[in-house]
Amino acid sequence: MSLEKIVEGESEVDEKDFLQQLKAADEKLGFMREIVEPEENGNGELNGVPVVLKDAICVENVTTSAGSNIIEDYSPVFDATVVERLKDAGAKIYGKTNQDEFGFGTFSTNCAFQTPKNPHDETRVVGGSSGGAGAIVAAMDSPIISIGESTGGSITNPASYNGVVGLTPTYGRVSRYGLISYANSLDKIGVLSKNVYGAAKGLEVIAGEDGKDQTTVDKKVPEFSDLEKTENLKIGIPKQYENLEGIEEGVRENFEESLETLEGLGAEIERVDMPLLSADYSVAAYYVLAMSEASTNLAKFSGMRYGMEKDPEEFDGYNEYFSAVRTEGFGEEAKRRVLLGTYTRMAGYRDEYYIKAAEVRQKIINQFKDAFEEYDVLVAPSMPNIAPKIDEAESMKPSEVYAMDTLTVGPNLAGVPMISVPNGKSEGMPTGLHIIGDHFDEETILDLAYTYEEKRGESQ
Amino acid sequence: MSDETEVMIGLETHVQLDTDTKLLCGCENEQDSDPNTNVCPTCLGHPGAKPRLNEKVIEEALKLAEALDCDVNEDVFFSRKTYFYPDMSKNFQTTQFELPVAENGNFEISLEDQDIDIGIKRIHIEEDPAKLDHVGGDISNSDYTLVDYNRAGTPLLEIVTKPDFTSPQEAREYLQQLERVLEYLEIYFSDTEFSIKSDANVSIDGGNRVEVKNITGTKEVEKALSFEISRQKQMTARGGEVEQETRSFNSDMGSTTSMRKKETEEDYGYIFEPDLTRQELDEERKSAASEKVPELPRQKFSRFKEEYGIADKLIESLISVPAMADDFENLAEEHEPELVASWMTGELKKTLNYNEVSYEESGVKTEWIEYVLELLEEDKISDRNAEQLLRDLVEEPRGPEEIVEQEDLLKAEDDEVDQVVEQVIEDNPDAVEDYNSGEEGAINFLVGQVMRQSGGKADPNTAREKILDRLEG
Ligand SMILES: [Zn+2]
Repeated sequence: MSLEKIVEGESEVDEKDFLQQLKAADEKLGFMREIVEPEENGNGELNGVPVVLKDAICVENVTTSAGSNIIEDYSPVFDATVVERLKDAGAKIYGKTNQDEFGFGTFSTNCAFQTPKNPHDETRVVGGSSGGAGAIVAAMDSPIISIGESTGGSITNPASYNGVVGLTPTYGRVSRYGLISYANSLDKIGVLSKNVYGAAKGLEVIAGEDGKDQTTVDKKVPEFSDLEKTENLKIGIPKQYENLEGIEEGVRENFEESLETLEGLGAEIERVDMPLLSADYSVAAYYVLAMSEASTNLAKFSGMRYGMEKDPEEFDGYNEYFSAVRTEGFGEEAKRRVLLGTYTRMAGYRDEYYIKAAEVRQKIINQFKDAFEEYDVLVAPSMPNIAPKIDEAESMKPSEVYAMDTLTVGPNLAGVPMISVPNGKSEGMPTGLHIIGDHFDEETILDLAYTYEEKRGESQ
Repeated sequence: MSDETEVMIGLETHVQLDTDTKLLCGCENEQDSDPNTNVCPTCLGHPGAKPRLNEKVIEEALKLAEALDCDVNEDVFFSRKTYFYPDMSKNFQTTQFELPVAENGNFEISLEDQDIDIGIKRIHIEEDPAKLDHVGGDISNSDYTLVDYNRAGTPLLEIVTKPDFTSPQEAREYLQQLERVLEYLEIYFSDTEFSIKSDANVSIDGGNRVEVKNITGTKEVEKALSFEISRQKQMTARGGEVEQETRSFNSDMGSTTSMRKKETEEDYGYIFEPDLTRQELDEERKSAASEKVPELPRQKFSRFKEEYGIADKLIESLISVPAMADDFENLAEEHEPELVASWMTGELKKTLNYNEVSYEESGVKTEWIEYVLELLEEDKISDRNAEQLLRDLVEEPRGPEEIVEQEDLLKAEDDEVDQVVEQVIEDNPDAVEDYNSGEEGAINFLVGQVMRQSGGKADPNTAREKILDRLEG
């Protein structure tokens, strides 16, 4: 069964079977935050297509906790715009997928509820922060549209670790209304699916201007799922990515093989120097900006309107009360980011950190714009490694974890679209090819990813 | 020595704008509704909800910027000011930090025939937090506190002056004249639930600066500052030093009390508000807004003075009610300006004030006022009855012709007066004789009798002439 067949009405998903499989797989791997029985929704192009959403995306009357204990029982009173659009298109919503708390993580090991296991090897992580969203696609036989969200690479990463396709659109292409914010200037809702078609179809439905999110752009949404073979593209490889220390041998081999495949499609491949994509600049700028914004977003979880409740009588004033709630409610990584993010925007440090990071970001955007003057797309390995073992991941130092994001934070800071497609295996675990495009040019990266997917399919 | 104390005052004034909807969501901007009825996920800060800017507020800020002669900045963007307080659902306030919408302005006020320039540092836009209702007391002793989010997201313009005031009177005058400008711009109205609040920075003789918070309205500032200045004077007179601190004005007590001593400057950790896009204020937008700025009170004052040559007091009174000033101009085309102005600002305004109704809402029509003016000009009504007529028009609005008829307010016709005169002379032979024997004062008695018998309709001068005619002739 393929998604295309369901969309075209040629085959159908049996709800009961699907639910049963979902529960069984989740029992084993723990990627779901909550499973719900799907309701009858609108009638449209996603009729009967199974959909799940990252926990941070609000679904009316369905627990939405963004992976955090502090809003464990939070039940939104409204649907996120993407949810509204999916429902209108007739999609069946089966629930919410686990994630790192508020998106703070690379492996979904910072989830307050459980750590999902990788369907390819249960001792390994699913990636993050949209980890559950990636794992479910790999774990289920049925096709599915899984809605994820990327701030610094949270779609590419689990797509790569789970061997599925993950599409992160241009910032402003998809409404964030109803997304519990991590870092608003970076957050992008995107799609994970089994193949490029699924990702394209999903984006087609959720994309487009939204009056409820001022950062969405008034641009016509192309028919992304009308995929076309594309050849003879001019492709750049950022040197800073190709030469990154710490890229595993198996990952490097698969990437080189991908390049050969692309060359076989007539691509002209060149190395391009993008100095600001090195970890020293991009990872630092990313974490300063993301944490600064995150620390303000998390301020509302104080026990006043949102967050756990305690007996105010036991506290001497609201400050003590708020502190107690936040101390107990937030996980360790959330507290780290609140503290660091508060520090980087404090008077006296603000210019050195927050403002400087914003300037670096602008320069990174300029480097991407320059690169896209020359090249149709840029490519790189999606992640430097295969999914690590859960215990290894849990014992990494925060700085080591942050360095894992080097390949993804650059394009995320620039707000350009990117797609990760599976490009082979290493030690039995999947790896990914990352294709990065110019702002609002999702079509080119989707077409290339589709062409690559087909070519690889033929050769296997 | 105390007379030579050098006083420096600067004001930060928050004006609540009377827009239809709130600053960042589509909720009705209405605070008097039942608590927490004008709310939505955005102004309640629900996780996942996002703000969207009410463009009208930018237009209103641009109008004020023009009126206060400010430079308008090219870009508009917002910042998050983060602090924890129970009246903020998000625990950050959406405001402007790096770049206010406008800065470097000037506002000329007049006080006792003197013109004083007050420098305007900046005008910026921000949202009001929710209202805390301390039940059973004030913040320090109430039983519990309720939060009403109807106010959360009401648009505010904050106007910051340079420390250019040298007396509490100047500060009061500034606020009152500012309020009038805001009313002329139709962005704030003093007779609604919206309010103006100010914080004042005060120092004397170059000493430490004290911030006085919670000054509501436009009149209390004088009381608050007078108290604070004399407190500072007494302190220095006793050889003490004024401490840098924040004090709160308590209106009931008429005094200021210490809130917090100078500690480290509060750190709000400002970042750019990433959910609201940066937008450019191009010439087109600026000029569209400035076209909506009407003639302002001071300009109107000078023009009235020149064009109509009426007394300053009358002009002051007219321009304090823009609609009245407009109607005055229409009426003054056909009628004597002095007459129009004195009747509008006299009995009419007095009655409006007494009945606590605004000119616009009173239902009094310009044609009605014109009708009264015509009666006066044609000498068909006595001043006393004209006053009565205006009172009736306000208190029970209906056509003045009808009132005049029902209440018989017009002056008596000549032959009617003749008859009364005849009657009075007949009934008062003693007074007639007194007059004839040279007692001229007796005429006053006879005029009084005529007035009384005619029910006030006879004009006293006419009556006097007629009696004289009759007695001499
Ligand atoms: Zn609202």
